[in-house]
Amino acid sequence: MKIERGDIELAGVCKSFDGAANVVDGVNLRIADGAYCCFLGPSGCGKTTILRMIAGHEDPTAGEILIGGQNVVGLAPAARRTAMMFQSYALFPHLSVRENVAFALRVRGMSKAERLRAADAMLEKVRLTQFADRLPAQLSGGQQQRVALARAAITEPRVLLLDEPLSALDEQLRVQMRQELRRMQRELGITFIHVTHTQLEAIALADLVVVMEQGRIKQAGPAREVYAEPYDRYVAEFLGGQNVLSGRVEKVNGASFVLAPPAQGRIEVPLCARPSLSVGDRVDIAVRRDDVELIRPGRELPPGHASALPSRVLAIEYQGYFVKVMLDTVPDDHFVAYVPERVFFADPFNVGDMVLATWVADRARPLA
Amino acid sequence: MSGATSDPRGGSIAGAQRAIAPRSGRPWTFYVLATLFALYVLALYGPMICIYILSFQDVRGGLVFPMKGHSLHWFVDLFTQVRTGDVKGSFDRSIKLAILVTILTVVISFLAGLGFRRRFAGDGVVFYMMIGSLVAPGLVLGLGTGLLFQALGIATSWYGSALGAQLSWTLPFGVLVMFAVMSRFDDAWEEAARDLGASRWQAIWLVIIPVLAPGLVAVALFGFTLSYDEFARSLQTAGSLNTLPLEIWSMTLNVTSPSLYALGTVTTIVSFIIIGASLGTIVMIQKRRGGHSPSSERSA
Amino acid sequence: MAGTATQTIDRPARANLTGWLYVMPLAVVLVPFFVAPILVVLAASFFSTDGFGGLTPGFTLSNYAEILRSGLTLNLYLSTIKFTLLTLIFTLVIGFFVAYFLVFHVRNQLLAIGLFLLCTVPFWTSNIIRMISWIPLLGKEGLINDALLATGLIHQPLEVLLFSDLAVVIAYVHQLTIFMIVPIFNAMARIDKKLIEAAVDAGASRLDIMRLIVVPMAKNGIALGSIFVMSIVMGDFFVVKVMSGGGSASVVGAFYEDVGVLQYPTAAASAVLLTLILLALVSLILRTVDIRREITQ
Repeated sequence: MKIERGDIELAGVCKSFDGAANVVDGVNLRIADGAYCCFLGPSGCGKTTILRMIAGHEDPTAGEILIGGQNVVGLAPAARRTAMMFQSYALFPHLSVRENVAFALRVRGMSKAERLRAADAMLEKVRLTQFADRLPAQLSGGQQQRVALARAAITEPRVLLLDEPLSALDEQLRVQMRQELRRMQRELGITFIHVTHTQLEAIALADLVVVMEQGRIKQAGPAREVYAEPYDRYVAEFLGGQNVLSGRVEKVNGASFVLAPPAQGRIEVPLCARPSLSVGDRVDIAVRRDDVELIRPGRELPPGHASALPSRVLAIEYQGYFVKVMLDTVPDDHFVAYVPERVFFADPFNVGDMVLATWVADRARPLA
Repeated sequence: MSGATSDPRGGSIAGAQRAIAPRSGRPWTFYVLATLFALYVLALYGPMICIYILSFQDVRGGLVFPMKGHSLHWFVDLFTQVRTGDVKGSFDRSIKLAILVTILTVVISFLAGLGFRRRFAGDGVVFYMMIGSLVAPGLVLGLGTGLLFQALGIATSWYGSALGAQLSWTLPFGVLVMFAVMSRFDDAWEEAARDLGASRWQAIWLVIIPVLAPGLVAVALFGFTLSYDEFARSLQTAGSLNTLPLEIWSMTLNVTSPSLYALGTVTTIVSFIIIGASLGTIVMIQKRRGGHSPSSERSA
Repeated sequence: MAGTATQTIDRPARANLTGWLYVMPLAVVLVPFFVAPILVVLAASFFSTDGFGGLTPGFTLSNYAEILRSGLTLNLYLSTIKFTLLTLIFTLVIGFFVAYFLVFHVRNQLLAIGLFLLCTVPFWTSNIIRMISWIPLLGKEGLINDALLATGLIHQPLEVLLFSDLAVVIAYVHQLTIFMIVPIFNAMARIDKKLIEAAVDAGASRLDIMRLIVVPMAKNGIALGSIFVMSIVMGDFFVVKVMSGGGSASVVGAFYEDVGVLQYPTAAASAVLLTLILLALVSLILRTVDIRREITQ
């Protein structure tokens, strides 16, 4: 039962450890109460530092952090009504599962009988009742994670902070545990902040994806928006799934303009997103990998396709329900097409073949 | 002393062993090294075993082999005869002093180990002071302490000046062991405890101390043994009443009977009891914990 | 928005305070029982004595002059250094190969630890007793001589076994090899096995592996062990005294004698000299290893 709001606001938050470089560089963000928010970025981008600052294990060098409208900078972790789940789970090795979960209540002075009862109730929620007497070392990774979750949740926090909770697990388990986390979040109804470097994980779980680079937020929005409409090259490349082409505007004619990349070929791109472009401007264009169709040279372009880039097939990877075809369309950069399996095997290509890469004209987007 | 069971960076050392000592058969170097090892252990234990055997020397026997018979005569001699020295008294004092030193060593080393986790201004001073205390010749420190107490007008005593002098020897060892122990301690545990609402002292009492318990037992073992056997620093600081090692020393110079060997056997038994108790405690704690802390788990 | 994190300014100061609070007990013991005695000895080395144990404060360099001019001092140091070097060599060789055997040739982990503990157990028993335990073995009527005579290898008991320099070195090596084994064992156990596998893949022989991988990576353990051995041997007086039967001398042995006849100032001067030399040697070794990192990891 939640009494307080768990919405979070970060205002101008900066953090520097050595006084010289900013690990977190002026972050502004609003997270709604009860949202599942994922911070996404490579190592060193500052996402874990932000998490620890919200938790209270680090203090910001500048800026404010508000939880439920209250400025929490300077407050101890326990006083913020937040709880953190550590990357290594940090389960106390000398205590049983039940005692681990009951720990928070113990340090608050609750009587033994009461707190063990509360712990048992929580263990039922995470379906670990039969392990209550075991020691952490006797549990599997997935089970340990559930214990860590229960231990954090028993304090009835308004925000739960998870530091790369799934990175210690192998692939299959990761996918399984993802759903467990989502289920817990819905049940508890509180804000979750989840730090990860795996983009598929972030877009699978989050209501709000926050993409970071070098201490700054590059884009924050719903998963679909960040994936399908990346703001700039960095976000597009980090999320994967997009090809990015650089080039110069050659012509601006009404609803589209033509682009001449350093590679060969001209492309038509709808203008609406960047109406202020003029001839000669340098611009990045993004095309989704699964939007790219490959046809043999000499064939007619399907209707609606305005651009065709001649390319050579560099490599082919079978990925189950689609085939990943890597092309040399852009020198020194990746250009990849995800071809549905059935389509590919109807007329398969070989490495070294020349093809035309083409797509429906308004599926291409200019980036910032 | 860190265990050899597994190296977090590269998995177990079994892989290295497989490279150097392949499973199929043993290289010739194995036999050479094994022989060397056996000889070493023999040389290590051999002389002591001779002493133990000789302590059961018959009344008519002397300090060397051959054994003229068996008897417990020299043990009795040890504890009753005045001319063999004040064994009971010094034994008593040594045990009491060792217990005091052990408790102080564990507490002080533990706190110092916690303190050295992060750098702070002047931590090098304390660190090198500790190394210096370890390296300095015990006799020199003993003299200095004795002169200091003399100048201050305080009498040297086994429970005062000798206590401090022994601590200057046991604490560096204790802190070194704590360093080894703390390097295996995941700071996340303490942070998790704080995150869940524990105060600093609750975190220490409920989490850090229990988790480090085996390490603390190791520190206690060092503290007890080093104190119980300490000689050079106690020599000038023990005052008028001897500790056991000092008593042994004077016996070495004066006594010419196997009762000295009997004393050796007795002190060894005491040492073995302490070691056994400590190791037993550590093994028991580790067994109950069921192995290492959760790190990279791979399957459900 | 104005920055409100005033706590962060105090953080470094707070960390310093916390650190000091924790190490305060340690410092409180070390200052009166390590720093002060050293200073007292240093001071005493500049005082003069009335010959009966009384110290007259003052400042005189005559004690140092006496020590440094005396030929005896040189002999003492030569003798001590000789023992130190011999002990270092033997403990290093034995210690290294014992550790190597335990880490790389013993397959069962539990057995390796068990054997390791077996080596350390004698450390926990009285070192005086352990030292004198050689006497029934090495003496003229000792076991070794008896055995050698019985097998006919010699016809007269070897006198050189006991009350000689050989006996001293044997006793030292017996007592101190463990100080080499422990740090070297630790260092070897930490070697990333992947390095060794890579070397084997590249065609290295076992000797190559030992020479090129194990020895360099055990360097820190060797340095640590050497510091222990060196400081114990150079600071020792009773092993030399007993096992050489008075035949050999050591610096601290002479110091002990001086103290015995209440010649405190000269004893103090000798002690200061020894401590300085010891410090110099230890610092030299410390240059090759980052001791703080080595110990704390």
